[in-house]
Amino acid sequence: MNQATLILVMLALMLFIYAWRRGDGSHRRGASMGWHTLKRTLPLLLIAFIIAGYVKVLAPQDLVSSWIGPDSGWRGLLVGTGAGMLLPGGPYVVFPLIAALYQTGAGVGPTLAIITSWSALALLTVSFELPFLGWRFTLLRIGMGLAIPLLVGLAGTFLFGG
Amino acid sequence: MRKWKPDWTTLTLTGVALVLAAVALGQGGSRMVFDGLVSGGQTLLSVIPLLMAAFLLAGLVRTLVSREVVERWLGSSSGWRGIILACLGGALLPGGPYVYYPIAGAMLQSGAGLGVLMAFITAKNLWSVPRLPYEFAFLGTRLTLIRYGLTLVVPPLAGLLTEALFGRVIDRIRKAVQ
Repeated sequence: MNQATLILVMLALMLFIYAWRRGDGSHRRGASMGWHTLKRTLPLLLIAFIIAGYVKVLAPQDLVSSWIGPDSGWRGLLVGTGAGMLLPGGPYVVFPLIAALYQTGAGVGPTLAIITSWSALALLTVSFELPFLGWRFTLLRIGMGLAIPLLVGLAGTFLFGG
Repeated sequence: MRKWKPDWTTLTLTGVALVLAAVALGQGGSRMVFDGLVSGGQTLLSVIPLLMAAFLLAGLVRTLVSREVVERWLGSSSGWRGIILACLGGALLPGGPYVYYPIAGAMLQSGAGLGVLMAFITAKNLWSVPRLPYEFAFLGTRLTLIRYGLTLVVPPLAGLLTEALFGRVIDRIRKAVQ
Protein backbone atom coordinates (compact mmCIF):
# COMPACT_ATOMS: atom_id res chain seq x y z
CA MET A 1 0.00 0.00 0.00
CA ASN A 2 1.60 3.28 -1.09
CA GLN A 3 1.46 6.73 0.45
CA ALA A 4 -1.40 8.07 -1.65
CA THR A 5 -3.50 5.01 -0.81
CA LEU A 6 -2.70 5.37 2.89
CA ILE A 7 -3.68 9.06 2.99
CA LEU A 8 -6.85 8.38 1.07
CA VAL A 9 -7.87 5.43 3.26
CA MET A 10 -7.26 7.55 6.35
CA LEU A 11 -9.31 10.45 4.94
CA ALA A 12 -12.14 8.06 4.05
CA LEU A 13 -12.00 6.48 7.52
CA MET A 14 -12.04 9.84 9.27
CA LEU A 15 -15.00 10.99 7.22
CA PHE A 16 -16.80 7.66 7.75
CA ILE A 17 -16.36 7.93 11.54
CA TYR A 18 -17.54 11.54 11.47
CA ALA A 19 -20.62 10.51 9.43
CA TRP A 20 -21.31 7.59 11.78
CA ARG A 21 -21.08 9.83 14.86
CA ARG A 22 -23.66 12.20 13.41
CA GLY A 23 -26.10 9.36 14.08
CA ASP A 24 -28.36 10.03 11.10
CA GLY A 25 -27.27 7.06 8.97
CA SER A 26 -25.26 9.24 6.61
CA HIS A 27 -22.28 6.84 6.92
CA ARG A 28 -24.40 4.09 5.36
CA ARG A 29 -25.86 6.41 2.71
CA GLY A 30 -22.39 7.70 1.80
CA ALA A 31 -20.92 4.21 1.50
CA SER A 32 -23.77 2.97 -0.67
CA MET A 33 -23.59 6.07 -2.85
CA GLY A 34 -19.86 5.47 -3.38
CA TRP A 35 -20.50 1.80 -4.17
CA HIS A 36 -23.19 2.64 -6.74
CA THR A 37 -20.94 5.22 -8.42
CA LEU A 38 -18.14 2.65 -8.57
CA LYS A 39 -20.47 0.03 -10.09
CA ARG A 40 -21.78 2.50 -12.65
CA THR A 41 -18.27 3.67 -13.62
CA LEU A 42 -16.60 0.25 -13.61
CA PRO A 43 -16.94 -0.50 -17.37
CA LEU A 44 -15.45 2.91 -18.19
CA LEU A 45 -12.66 2.41 -15.67
CA LEU A 46 -11.80 -0.96 -17.21
CA ILE A 47 -11.63 0.51 -20.72
CA ALA A 48 -9.60 3.48 -19.46
CA PHE A 49 -7.00 1.18 -17.92
CA ILE A 50 -6.82 -0.92 -21.09
CA ILE A 51 -6.20 2.26 -23.15
CA ALA A 52 -3.54 3.37 -20.64
CA GLY A 53 -1.88 -0.04 -20.99
CA TYR A 54 -1.76 0.14 -24.80
CA VAL A 55 -0.43 3.71 -24.94
CA LYS A 56 2.27 2.66 -22.46
CA VAL A 57 3.25 -0.32 -24.65
CA LEU A 58 3.17 1.65 -27.93
CA ALA A 59 4.78 5.00 -26.89
CA PRO A 60 7.52 6.02 -29.41
CA GLN A 61 10.09 7.07 -26.79
CA ASP A 62 13.20 7.30 -29.01
CA LEU A 63 11.41 9.43 -31.59
CA VAL A 64 10.40 12.05 -28.98
CA SER A 65 13.87 12.43 -27.45
CA SER A 66 15.47 13.63 -30.72
CA TRP A 67 13.04 16.54 -31.13
CA ILE A 68 13.33 18.57 -27.93
CA GLY A 69 16.92 19.79 -27.50
CA PRO A 70 17.85 23.16 -25.91
CA ASP A 71 17.96 24.91 -29.30
CA SER A 72 14.71 23.49 -30.64
CA GLY A 73 12.88 26.79 -30.04
CA TRP A 74 9.14 26.93 -30.66
CA ARG A 75 9.17 23.51 -32.29
CA GLY A 76 10.63 21.97 -29.13
CA LEU A 77 8.00 23.65 -26.96
CA LEU A 78 5.20 22.50 -29.27
CA VAL A 79 6.56 18.95 -29.46
CA GLY A 80 7.03 18.96 -25.67
CA THR A 81 3.45 20.12 -25.12
CA GLY A 82 2.13 17.47 -27.51
CA ALA A 83 4.27 14.73 -25.97
CA GLY A 84 3.15 15.71 -22.47
CA MET A 85 -0.50 15.41 -23.50
CA LEU A 86 0.14 11.86 -24.75
CA LEU A 87 2.31 10.59 -21.87
CA PRO A 88 0.59 7.74 -20.07
CA GLY A 89 0.61 6.87 -16.40
CA GLY A 90 1.09 8.36 -12.95
CA PRO A 91 4.06 10.34 -11.60
CA TYR A 92 6.23 7.27 -10.87
CA VAL A 93 5.92 6.26 -14.54
CA VAL A 94 6.15 9.69 -16.17
CA PHE A 95 8.80 11.46 -14.08
CA PRO A 96 11.53 8.83 -14.65
CA LEU A 97 10.83 9.04 -18.39
CA ILE A 98 11.02 12.86 -18.42
CA ALA A 99 14.18 12.75 -16.28
CA ALA A 100 15.77 10.36 -18.80
CA LEU A 101 14.91 12.76 -21.64
CA TYR A 102 16.34 15.70 -19.68
CA GLN A 103 19.58 13.85 -18.95
CA THR A 104 20.02 12.78 -22.58
CA GLY A 105 19.86 16.38 -23.77
CA ALA A 106 16.37 17.85 -23.67
CA GLY A 107 16.30 21.61 -22.98
CA VAL A 108 14.92 23.21 -19.80
CA GLY A 109 12.07 24.87 -21.73
CA PRO A 110 10.80 21.77 -23.56
CA THR A 111 11.21 19.69 -20.37
CA LEU A 112 9.09 22.19 -18.40
CA ALA A 113 6.55 22.15 -21.25
CA ILE A 114 6.34 18.33 -21.05
CA ILE A 115 5.86 18.29 -17.25
CA THR A 116 3.27 21.08 -17.32
CA SER A 117 1.44 19.62 -20.29
CA TRP A 118 1.34 16.14 -18.76
CA SER A 119 0.14 17.67 -15.46
CA ALA A 120 -2.59 19.89 -16.86
CA LEU A 121 -3.57 18.42 -20.23
CA ALA A 122 -2.93 14.63 -20.15
CA LEU A 123 -5.40 13.19 -22.65
CA LEU A 124 -5.65 9.84 -20.86
CA THR A 125 -7.33 11.53 -17.89
CA VAL A 126 -10.13 12.70 -20.21
CA SER A 127 -11.61 9.21 -20.16
CA PHE A 128 -12.07 9.62 -16.39
CA GLU A 129 -13.32 13.19 -16.75
CA LEU A 130 -16.09 12.67 -19.33
CA PRO A 131 -18.47 10.57 -17.20
CA PHE A 132 -18.28 13.00 -14.26
CA LEU A 133 -18.03 16.47 -15.81
CA GLY A 134 -19.09 16.03 -19.46
CA TRP A 135 -17.51 17.09 -22.76
CA ARG A 136 -18.29 20.81 -22.41
CA PHE A 137 -16.09 21.07 -19.31
CA THR A 138 -13.31 19.01 -20.93
CA LEU A 139 -13.35 21.21 -24.04
CA LEU A 140 -13.18 24.41 -21.96
CA ARG A 141 -10.40 23.08 -19.73
CA ILE A 142 -8.19 21.88 -22.60
CA GLY A 143 -8.98 24.84 -24.84
CA MET A 144 -8.03 27.38 -22.17
CA GLY A 145 -5.12 25.27 -20.92
CA LEU A 146 -3.27 24.78 -24.23
CA ALA A 147 -1.27 28.00 -23.81
CA ILE A 148 -0.03 27.16 -20.29
CA PRO A 149 2.77 24.64 -21.12
CA LEU A 150 3.97 26.85 -23.99
CA LEU A 151 4.16 29.94 -21.73
CA VAL A 152 5.82 27.99 -18.90
CA GLY A 153 8.35 26.51 -21.35
CA LEU A 154 9.00 29.93 -22.90
CA ALA A 155 9.51 31.56 -19.48
CA GLY A 156 11.78 28.69 -18.46
CA THR A 157 13.91 29.07 -21.60
CA PHE A 158 14.27 32.82 -21.09
CA LEU A 159 14.93 32.76 -17.35
CA PHE A 160 16.94 29.57 -16.92
CA GLY A 161 18.68 28.97 -20.24
CA GLY A 162 18.01 26.70 -23.19
CA MET B 1 -28.79 7.25 -9.89
CA ARG B 2 -28.90 6.12 -13.50
CA LYS B 3 -28.37 2.47 -14.43
CA TRP B 4 -25.35 1.74 -16.61
CA LYS B 5 -26.00 1.23 -20.29
CA PRO B 6 -23.60 1.47 -23.24
CA ASP B 7 -23.68 5.20 -23.98
CA TRP B 8 -21.58 7.10 -26.53
CA THR B 9 -18.71 7.74 -24.08
CA THR B 10 -18.29 4.03 -23.44
CA LEU B 11 -18.58 3.25 -27.14
CA THR B 12 -16.02 5.90 -28.13
CA LEU B 13 -13.52 4.73 -25.53
CA THR B 14 -14.06 1.10 -26.54
CA GLY B 15 -13.33 2.18 -30.13
CA VAL B 16 -10.08 3.89 -29.05
CA ALA B 17 -9.02 0.77 -27.12
CA LEU B 18 -9.76 -1.43 -30.16
CA VAL B 19 -7.80 0.87 -32.52
CA LEU B 20 -4.82 0.81 -30.12
CA ALA B 21 -5.06 -2.98 -29.92
CA ALA B 22 -5.05 -3.13 -33.73
CA VAL B 23 -1.95 -0.88 -33.89
CA ALA B 24 -0.28 -3.14 -31.33
CA LEU B 25 -1.19 -6.18 -33.43
CA GLY B 26 0.37 -4.55 -36.51
CA GLN B 27 3.55 -3.57 -34.67
CA GLY B 28 4.27 -6.54 -32.45
CA GLY B 29 1.73 -9.23 -33.21
CA SER B 30 -0.50 -10.93 -30.67
CA ARG B 31 2.35 -10.70 -28.15
CA MET B 32 2.03 -6.89 -28.01
CA VAL B 33 -1.78 -7.05 -27.85
CA PHE B 34 -1.33 -9.26 -24.79
CA ASP B 35 1.35 -6.95 -23.29
CA GLY B 36 -0.97 -3.94 -23.50
CA LEU B 37 -3.77 -5.79 -21.73
CA VAL B 38 -1.38 -7.03 -19.03
CA SER B 39 0.04 -3.53 -18.53
CA GLY B 40 -3.44 -2.04 -18.11
CA GLY B 41 -4.54 -4.90 -15.89
CA GLN B 42 -1.52 -4.55 -13.62
CA THR B 43 -2.15 -0.82 -13.17
CA LEU B 44 -5.78 -1.50 -12.37
CA LEU B 45 -4.92 -4.23 -9.83
CA SER B 46 -2.39 -1.99 -8.12
CA VAL B 47 -4.91 0.83 -7.62
CA ILE B 48 -7.88 -1.25 -6.42
CA PRO B 49 -7.44 -0.24 -2.73
CA LEU B 50 -7.01 3.37 -3.87
CA LEU B 51 -10.16 3.09 -5.99
CA MET B 52 -12.25 1.67 -3.16
CA ALA B 53 -11.12 4.42 -0.77
CA ALA B 54 -11.65 7.10 -3.43
CA PHE B 55 -15.20 6.07 -4.23
CA LEU B 56 -16.08 5.69 -0.54
CA LEU B 57 -14.65 9.17 0.06
CA ALA B 58 -16.57 10.61 -2.89
CA GLY B 59 -19.82 9.04 -1.68
CA LEU B 60 -19.32 10.32 1.87
CA VAL B 61 -18.45 13.81 0.64
CA ARG B 62 -21.58 13.85 -1.48
CA THR B 63 -23.74 12.74 1.46
CA LEU B 64 -22.17 14.96 4.11
CA VAL B 65 -21.67 18.15 2.18
CA SER B 66 -25.09 19.60 1.56
CA ARG B 67 -25.85 21.69 -1.49
CA GLU B 68 -26.14 24.80 0.70
CA VAL B 69 -22.71 24.31 2.26
CA VAL B 70 -21.07 23.74 -1.12
CA GLU B 71 -22.86 26.74 -2.54
CA ARG B 72 -21.60 28.86 0.31
CA TRP B 73 -18.03 27.52 0.28
CA LEU B 74 -17.43 26.32 -3.28
CA GLY B 75 -20.37 27.64 -5.30
CA SER B 76 -20.12 30.28 -8.01
CA SER B 77 -21.60 32.87 -5.67
CA SER B 78 -18.65 32.68 -3.29
CA GLY B 79 -16.31 34.21 -5.90
CA TRP B 80 -12.58 34.34 -5.33
CA ARG B 81 -12.89 32.92 -1.81
CA GLY B 82 -14.48 29.72 -3.12
CA ILE B 83 -11.86 29.56 -5.84
CA ILE B 84 -8.99 29.83 -3.33
CA LEU B 85 -10.60 27.11 -1.17
CA ALA B 86 -11.00 24.88 -4.22
CA CYS B 87 -7.33 25.47 -5.11
CA LEU B 88 -6.20 24.44 -1.63
CA GLY B 89 -8.49 21.40 -1.64
CA GLY B 90 -7.21 20.32 -5.05
CA ALA B 91 -3.58 20.85 -4.04
CA LEU B 92 -3.92 18.68 -0.92
CA LEU B 93 -6.04 15.84 -2.35
CA PRO B 94 -4.03 12.67 -3.10
CA GLY B 95 -4.72 10.18 -5.89
CA GLY B 96 -5.11 10.09 -9.66
CA PRO B 97 -7.94 11.08 -12.02
CA TYR B 98 -10.12 8.19 -10.78
CA VAL B 99 -10.00 9.98 -7.41
CA TYR B 100 -10.52 13.68 -8.14
CA TYR B 101 -12.98 13.43 -11.01
CA PRO B 102 -15.58 11.53 -8.95
CA ILE B 103 -15.12 14.16 -6.23
CA ALA B 104 -15.41 16.99 -8.79
CA GLY B 105 -18.55 15.26 -10.11
CA ALA B 106 -19.98 15.22 -6.58
CA MET B 107 -19.12 18.92 -6.20
CA LEU B 108 -20.84 19.67 -9.51
CA GLN B 109 -24.01 17.84 -8.46
CA SER B 110 -23.95 19.65 -5.10
CA GLY B 111 -23.99 23.04 -6.79
CA ALA B 112 -20.36 24.11 -7.27
CA GLY B 113 -19.71 26.79 -9.91
CA LEU B 114 -17.63 26.45 -13.10
CA GLY B 115 -14.73 28.61 -11.87
CA VAL B 116 -14.54 26.61 -8.65
CA LEU B 117 -14.44 23.29 -10.55
CA MET B 118 -11.79 24.62 -12.95
CA ALA B 119 -9.68 25.92 -10.04
CA PHE B 120 -10.05 22.57 -8.24
CA ILE B 121 -8.95 20.46 -11.25
CA THR B 122 -6.16 22.89 -12.26
CA ALA B 123 -4.77 23.09 -8.71
CA LYS B 124 -4.93 19.31 -8.44
CA ASN B 125 -2.90 19.16 -11.68
CA LEU B 126 -0.38 21.95 -11.07
CA TRP B 127 -0.16 22.48 -7.29
CA SER B 128 -0.33 18.80 -6.29
CA VAL B 129 1.31 18.43 -2.87
CA PRO B 130 1.20 14.57 -2.76
CA ARG B 131 3.06 14.47 -6.11
CA LEU B 132 5.78 16.87 -4.92
CA PRO B 133 8.07 14.14 -3.45
CA TYR B 134 8.14 12.22 -6.77
CA GLU B 135 8.93 15.35 -8.76
CA PHE B 136 11.76 16.28 -6.38
CA ALA B 137 13.13 12.74 -6.38
CA PHE B 138 13.22 12.27 -10.17
CA LEU B 139 13.69 15.74 -11.62
CA GLY B 140 15.75 17.44 -8.93
CA THR B 141 15.21 20.52 -6.79
CA ARG B 142 15.98 23.10 -9.50
CA LEU B 143 13.51 21.92 -12.16
CA THR B 144 10.85 21.26 -9.53
CA LEU B 145 11.13 24.71 -7.96
CA ILE B 146 11.11 26.38 -11.40
CA ARG B 147 8.03 24.37 -12.43
CA TYR B 148 6.03 25.09 -9.24
CA GLY B 149 7.15 28.73 -9.26
CA LEU B 150 6.14 29.35 -12.85
CA THR B 151 2.71 27.72 -12.46
CA LEU B 152 1.88 29.18 -9.03
CA VAL B 153 -0.53 31.78 -10.38
CA VAL B 154 -2.29 29.51 -12.90
CA PRO B 155 -5.01 27.68 -10.85
CA PRO B 156 -6.68 30.73 -9.24
CA LEU B 157 -6.31 32.66 -12.49
CA ALA B 158 -7.87 29.81 -14.50
CA GLY B 159 -10.76 29.68 -12.02
CA LEU B 160 -11.45 33.43 -12.09
CA LEU B 161 -11.10 33.64 -15.88
CA THR B 162 -13.36 30.64 -16.55
CA GLU B 163 -16.02 31.93 -14.14
CA ALA B 164 -15.97 35.40 -15.74
CA LEU B 165 -16.04 34.15 -19.34
CA PHE B 166 -18.09 30.93 -19.25
CA GLY B 167 -19.69 30.80 -15.77
CA ARG B 168 -23.21 30.46 -17.15
CA VAL B 169 -22.47 27.18 -18.98
CA ILE B 170 -22.49 25.35 -15.61
CA ASP B 171 -26.23 24.56 -15.69
CA ARG B 172 -25.92 22.80 -19.03
CA ILE B 173 -22.85 20.90 -17.85
CA ARG B 174 -24.69 19.80 -14.69
CA LYS B 175 -27.78 18.70 -16.61
CA ALA B 176 -25.78 16.77 -19.22
CA VAL B 177 -23.93 14.69 -16.62
CA GLN B 178 -26.81 13.97 -14.24
